[in-house]
Amino acid sequence: MKIVSGVLLVIVLLAGALWWVSDMAPAEPIEIENPRVRLVPGGAPMAGYFSITNHTDAPIRLVSAASDAFGHVMIHRTVVTDGGARMEHQDQGVLVGAGETVAFEPKGLHLMLMRAQRELEVGDAVDVVFGFEGVEPAEYRVTFTVVPVTSS
Amino acid sequence: MNLPRLGLMLAALLALAACGEEGWHGKSIEGLMPELEFRLTSETGETVTEQVFEGRPVAMYFGFTHCPDICPATLARLVAAVRRLPEPQQERLQLAFVSVDPERDGPEQLRDYTDAFSERMLGLTGTQKQLKTLTRRYRTTYGYEERREDGSYEVSHSSAIFVFDADLEPRLMLLDSLGVAEIAADLERLLQ
Ligand SMILES: [Cu+2]
Repeated sequence: MKIVSGVLLVIVLLAGALWWVSDMAPAEPIEIENPRVRLVPGGAPMAGYFSITNHTDAPIRLVSAASDAFGHVMIHRTVVTDGGARMEHQDQGVLVGAGETVAFEPKGLHLMLMRAQRELEVGDAVDVVFGFEGVEPAEYRVTFTVVPVTSS
Repeated sequence: MNLPRLGLMLAALLALAACGEEGWHGKSIEGLMPELEFRLTSETGETVTEQVFEGRPVAMYFGFTHCPDICPATLARLVAAVRRLPEPQQERLQLAFVSVDPERDGPEQLRDYTDAFSERMLGLTGTQKQLKTLTRRYRTTYGYEERREDGSYEVSHSSAIFVFDADLEPRLMLLDSLGVAEIAADLERLLQ
């Protein structure tokens, strides 16, 4: 009997701990992973890639991006149709559902970083400030790493 | 026959079809389009024709340097595929990037851009007339979108890589959906 109640106690404690851990709010409501800028030579625009996870329980919208290192930053999507490619400006921003992850990756969503304000090199760090709707704080500063043009 | 089995058979058929005609991963355009011919300006500023390739097979892509996403992604895949080829093949194959945005892509801009990918990549561009003649020849198009306030603009362009053999005959269209291994396999087979 003693053993049974001991085991029960352990189970109850474990379950309680699990419930407590799962209920803890994540440290950050928004998680940005692998932020990188692909270096393009010759002063042409560069693409910024990352993945974004919304840890809140409501949808959020990425509506803007800006960087001191670039004259202008836009949120774009490359669309490939029937052998042709073009870019679409995401003027409504990008919606990230509750608990969802959206990838900004080659041949899809990307930051279009225009007019570099200084000569960048592989390995440099570039800060980008994201603007969100539906989450506080609404601004989020992320450090991107400059990667070679031949990387994906 | 039960449904799951039918599904499996269909999937197998689709997989076969996806491999393309005659086992190419890309689309064979052999005999469907005319041989390579153009008059353009190269990254050195000289006027050149298809003879600039000196009888070497060519992998050609139409794009523009102010294309931050799909152009580098495609050229990077092409260069990665070339690196997987046996050394002699690597040396034979010529890479060419034709900018359909001559307004922004002068020789110097083109040289900086193509050199970042490979020393074997030649940058080319031309007048609208020269570019239209070449793109029409391969049944592809390009176009410009409305200018933004700062004067910048987007260019729509073909997403495929065109491969020509040593006789300048068009052989393959490598669509943007192909991975590095598939591009390498097609190039290796073509260059044999
Ligand atoms: Cu873009």
